[in-house]
Amino acid sequence: MSKIISVHSFRGGTGKSNVTANLAYTAASRGNRVGIIDTDIQSPGVHVLFGLGGEQIHRSLNDYLWGRCPIEETACDVSAIAGLPDDGKGRLYVIPSSLNAGDIARVLRDGYDPALLNDGFRALIERMKLDMLFIDTHPGVNEETLLSIAISDALVILLRPDQQDYQGTAVTVDLARRLAVPILVLAVNKVLPLFDMDAIKREAEATFNAPVAGVLPLSEEMVRLGSSDLFCRRYPDHPFTKGVRQILTSLVG
Amino acid sequence: MPENRDDIDKLIGSMKALASPFRGVLNELHTKYKPVREGAVANYIPELAKANPDWFGISVVTVDGSVYEVGDHGVPFTIQSVSKPFVYGMALEDHGREHTLSKVGVEPTGDAFNSLIRLDERSNRPHNPMVNAGAIATADLIDGADPAARINRLLAGLRRYTGRDLNVDMSVFMSERTTGHRNRAIAHLLLNFGMVTPRLDETLDLYFQQCSALVNCHDLAVMGATLANGGVNPMSGDRAIEAQYVKDVLSVMYSCGMYDFSGQWGYEVGLPAKSGVGGGIVAVVPGQLGIGVFSPLLDGRGNSVRGIRTCVELSQRFGLHVFEAGADRSRLLETLSGRSAPARNQTIA
Repeated sequence: MSKIISVHSFRGGTGKSNVTANLAYTAASRGNRVGIIDTDIQSPGVHVLFGLGGEQIHRSLNDYLWGRCPIEETACDVSAIAGLPDDGKGRLYVIPSSLNAGDIARVLRDGYDPALLNDGFRALIERMKLDMLFIDTHPGVNEETLLSIAISDALVILLRPDQQDYQGTAVTVDLARRLAVPILVLAVNKVLPLFDMDAIKREAEATFNAPVAGVLPLSEEMVRLGSSDLFCRRYPDHPFTKGVRQILTSLVG
Repeated sequence: MPENRDDIDKLIGSMKALASPFRGVLNELHTKYKPVREGAVANYIPELAKANPDWFGISVVTVDGSVYEVGDHGVPFTIQSVSKPFVYGMALEDHGREHTLSKVGVEPTGDAFNSLIRLDERSNRPHNPMVNAGAIATADLIDGADPAARINRLLAGLRRYTGRDLNVDMSVFMSERTTGHRNRAIAHLLLNFGMVTPRLDETLDLYFQQCSALVNCHDLAVMGATLANGGVNPMSGDRAIEAQYVKDVLSVMYSCGMYDFSGQWGYEVGLPAKSGVGGGIVAVVPGQLGIGVFSPLLDGRGNSVRGIRTCVELSQRFGLHVFEAGADRSRLLETLSGRSAPARNQTIA
């Protein structure tokens, strides 16, 4: 049974794309066929983690939404870039959003039918035979993110230890509960290592009445990497990588 | 900060409907029947012949107001005979059961959509309100001080079902009016037998306008859902018809709604329904939902080809036939909600 997993945060800058890419990579390295879809059409970013630039992206989610091609034609196989073994079952595909300024402007001006997203997710899972589809959502609350949450089997809400994130996250948790997502977990990212990780976990759980699946430290290595590679691959024994594994386990067992 | 719970509930509801696997089912049916090229668009008046044979929309609205729709669900078309059961309901409200039954019966005839008049030999009544003779006799029962008041009342009645204002397509109305010789003949015969009042031209104009009201596939599903919901429009919360007459309307739809295909439709699909030569079909699953399908390619009996196939498959897949006693509707409910079990309870370790 394939799973749709959304990663969301109320505000930008929480490290959503980075965590999504690392979760997806970790799932693929366990032998799953995994897709990542970047629905943050206004400010796409997840492709960067796989070294994809404008020249490598021939088709994007935008092309599908505007009826130019079927969704599966927008999928880039990044298994080799992610260093997954050729002979293994694990595969990783990225469905990027367009980096073309004109395309982004067109989305802002004309919008698109959010219902097409749902149709696209389901078609992609079926045609690419995916075990898991990770959705990197647009921050904040809008129709597309609510729809992504509504169709998800599991939702990760990412926040930083910051008062602005705390208030907004309460809104997202409330909406997600009403949308009856079967699994809802929180993850706290960018925590300074000198903080008490357990205390942060307890505080967030008490505030939102939802489980915290992982507390991810802010590290010098992460900053230095600057999204140029998958952190979990480069630093397999780092506390961040362990945190990502814990989050994945809470989502798919 | 005060919260508008209604707005949030509406947004959440529409997102749940968009996310529902039932949308996937409708997409699948749409993809499957879109290539069907059998049948022809109605051509008895030039205006109808302009319909695009590719148009195809499916809408489903549940009694709790969830909307699922795919394809050309917003394309306007003339309601035609789909109006008949709804106007019959208004006549029942204006005159009650006894008087209405004295003017138009409830007996299926198996007559074609373009049949010549046949009246009951003993009573001289048209057999039922779904054949043209019966629909004209029904239109005659719509009260109002003058012609404008009557059409306004009729449109207001339909508006309670759709929840939005409806307009009459003037070019279709004019062409129905100038070419409706058969209906004019029927009206004269009805007058001869005392089944209609002498205001013939006025009643015929009312009937032609009734048939020329513009609706879309979404409207049909809401209208069906209103009947499924005991007469209350699930989107607006407004009552469209007195609860006591809902079963009268659904009964004649079940036995007479699909012209001379009504018997087989009742056997195969098993739902009260009404078709029109504009390409629309409304079907009702009592207590659960309304279905609207629109596709102007008609079979030889005047029913939408894609519309029939869509309804047959929906009924069979989800066990919607009203006589399927003990049918397991959990499959339908699961597909609509998209959640096979209540959300997993999470406890914090």
